[in-house]
Amino acid sequence: MHDGPVQDIFAALSQLQVLERSLAGDAMAQQRANQAVQLLERALGEIRNFIGAFRPPGFERRALGEIVEGLAVQHETLTDQGVELDLPTDLGDCALPTKIAIYRILQEALANGHRHSGASRQRLTVHRRGSAIALTVSDDGKGFDPQRVLASEADVGVEGGHFGLRGIQDRVAMLGGSFAIDSAPGRGTSLTVTLPAE
Amino acid sequence: MIRVLLADDHAIVLEGLRALLDGEPDIKVAAWTTDGTEVLKLVQQHKPDVVVLDLELTSIKGTAVIAALRDRPSAPKVLVLTAYNDGDSLRSALDAGADGLALKTESPQQTLTAIRQVHGGQLVFPQAARRWIEGRAAGAPGDLTPREREVWSLVAAGLTNPQIAERLGLSDNTVKFHVQHLFSKLGVKNRTEAALKYAHGPPR
Repeated sequence: MHDGPVQDIFAALSQLQVLERSLAGDAMAQQRANQAVQLLERALGEIRNFIGAFRPPGFERRALGEIVEGLAVQHETLTDQGVELDLPTDLGDCALPTKIAIYRILQEALANGHRHSGASRQRLTVHRRGSAIALTVSDDGKGFDPQRVLASEADVGVEGGHFGLRGIQDRVAMLGGSFAIDSAPGRGTSLTVTLPAE
Repeated sequence: MIRVLLADDHAIVLEGLRALLDGEPDIKVAAWTTDGTEVLKLVQQHKPDVVVLDLELTSIKGTAVIAALRDRPSAPKVLVLTAYNDGDSLRSALDAGADGLALKTESPQQTLTAIRQVHGGQLVFPQAARRWIEGRAAGAPGDLTPREREVWSLVAAGLTNPQIAERLGLSDNTVKFHVQHLFSKLGVKNRTEAALKYAHGPPR
């Protein structure tokens, strides 16, 4: 997402707050200005949840570890849900399509874990296993029945930018990797994905 | 009075912020620009207390501007103001050695608060930044000499090397030497990271 709307709304809010202050003495007008301020602040709040997710996170410039680290920090700041990151210092880099896929998969998995698990934190590990990269995203939250969710997603397809578990599975298959999900109601969730590094 | 320099490549943002800041009794906008190289000239000319800048500027990048400002003897405080609340912005601001990060996706009132906080010597970063640095830093504070601990606390209080030298009755070069050792023992890259680490867990 382009940041133009944010610049415009932020500038408009600044001006409105000046206006609001200059209206001291006219309670009615000041209240209207204040309502406009609150509406714009709400709009900014909505945008805040999307804008980070749509900026190219510098895939060419940054190695895999840095990309994953940035994503974990971003998740924590956006959601207040902790991410326990297990990342070896000698992880190295991988091919660009793999790196982008890993980013999208982790982003979706973390978002799912935040939306559905009810857990206060998630654990994220990324390791090199021979010529492959293995990712695990897990939590000790509510859990669910994976077969039922995968079946229901097959009918719905991609919706609102969230491609869900099915989307992760398709992306992994496209790159010749493997996908496993271990979950059951009340038992937490663990998603493991392995992708060829090159 | 807090004297502020504004740098942003969006003229409308400059105009809005300028009006808002000038309406505050304790803040005065000394200068503003959309251009990165211009920031350095204006700082020299106006000696602001706080520079508020977007990382995306024309001619040179915000991070390069911050690095150049950091090398000056009486460097102003730097508050990064960005539209992006993501790891990339946070990392760039930290690596460059900024004093804080404010978001354009928050109310401009938050920017005002952040300006006052960095001016008061506080570091203004999301909670996540601290954990990040904590995770990266290799050295154990236990290895520090008493002098290094002293220097660390003064760095964390926002003092520059010459100020620390004066406070401790040492030469500038000696302080520089202690600071270099301190950074390498703590596993931090700059003063911002050293101060954040201090706030997280001061010497035992």
